[in-house]
Amino acid sequence: MEQPDNLIHQPVRLKIMAALKALPAGEKLEFVRLKALSEATEGNLGSHIQTLEQAGYVSVEKDFAGNRPRTRIALTRKGQHAFENYVAYLRGIIELQAKP
Amino acid sequence: MSLSSDQAAESLKQIDRTGRRSAQAWSYANSSPFFVMWGVVWMIGYTGSDLYPRYAGPLWLTLSVAGVAGSMMLGRTRARAGEPHPGTNRHAGSRFVASFLAIGAFVAATYAIFGHATPAQQAAFTPLIVALFYALLGIWKGLRFLVTGIAVAALTLGGFFFLHQHFMLWMAAVGGGALVLAGLWLRKV
Repeated sequence: MEQPDNLIHQPVRLKIMAALKALPAGEKLEFVRLKALSEATEGNLGSHIQTLEQAGYVSVEKDFAGNRPRTRIALTRKGQHAFENYVAYLRGIIELQAKP
Repeated sequence: MSLSSDQAAESLKQIDRTGRRSAQAWSYANSSPFFVMWGVVWMIGYTGSDLYPRYAGPLWLTLSVAGVAGSMMLGRTRARAGEPHPGTNRHAGSRFVASFLAIGAFVAATYAIFGHATPAQQAAFTPLIVALFYALLGIWKGLRFLVTGIAVAALTLGGFFFLHQHFMLWMAAVGGGALVLAGLWLRKV
């Protein structure tokens, strides 16, 4: 059987990808919101985002909203494709094992 | 490494759960400024209606037009910032106006059927329609919209039946305040 994408398979990274995939195309999610959605600590989340960014799955944009520094994360096309493949992989396992 | 069927199902559940929360949080965050703005419109409108009841009609007409224009501007601003409101696309402006006209036509038709309505009845009716929309939105899109709808309806009916003498001020402080607070609440994840 095909192997899962280990970059996405890790639980926190799976939540990050799922949260970003649920947004309308091209939308970005603020770091603080992603932290709440992924239920990860700040440091842990930052580290996983970096891993996903290095893989080209997410893009990170840092700017200022007024005087407040803001970090926003978006799913890249490559990330979207990888996530869809991962979901298809999971569904494949269930279908395969459901067959008599 | 390969996964069992149970592990795969659990991962899919997690994806679904997180995805739903994310979509809901996005919807809440994008609706927030609209709630705050209309809350302020209500505060001004009801306070003005209490202080200058003779000018309540023109005041509400002006505020409603300003509110629709403000909604359109908010939508455009957020679209430019890369955070488009769900209703914000190239037809958003005309949809805001059409929605407002549809609500206005419904209210006018209702008054035509039921006959003369007192200022207090008129002041209570529109918030109840707004509350209904929020409640319906909440049933489909998220609990916080539903809570807001129920709160607005309950506060409107409470003020109408138990604080009739000060109903306009009640609606300014509590009705408008509820919308502003709901807008701030929607910002939180």
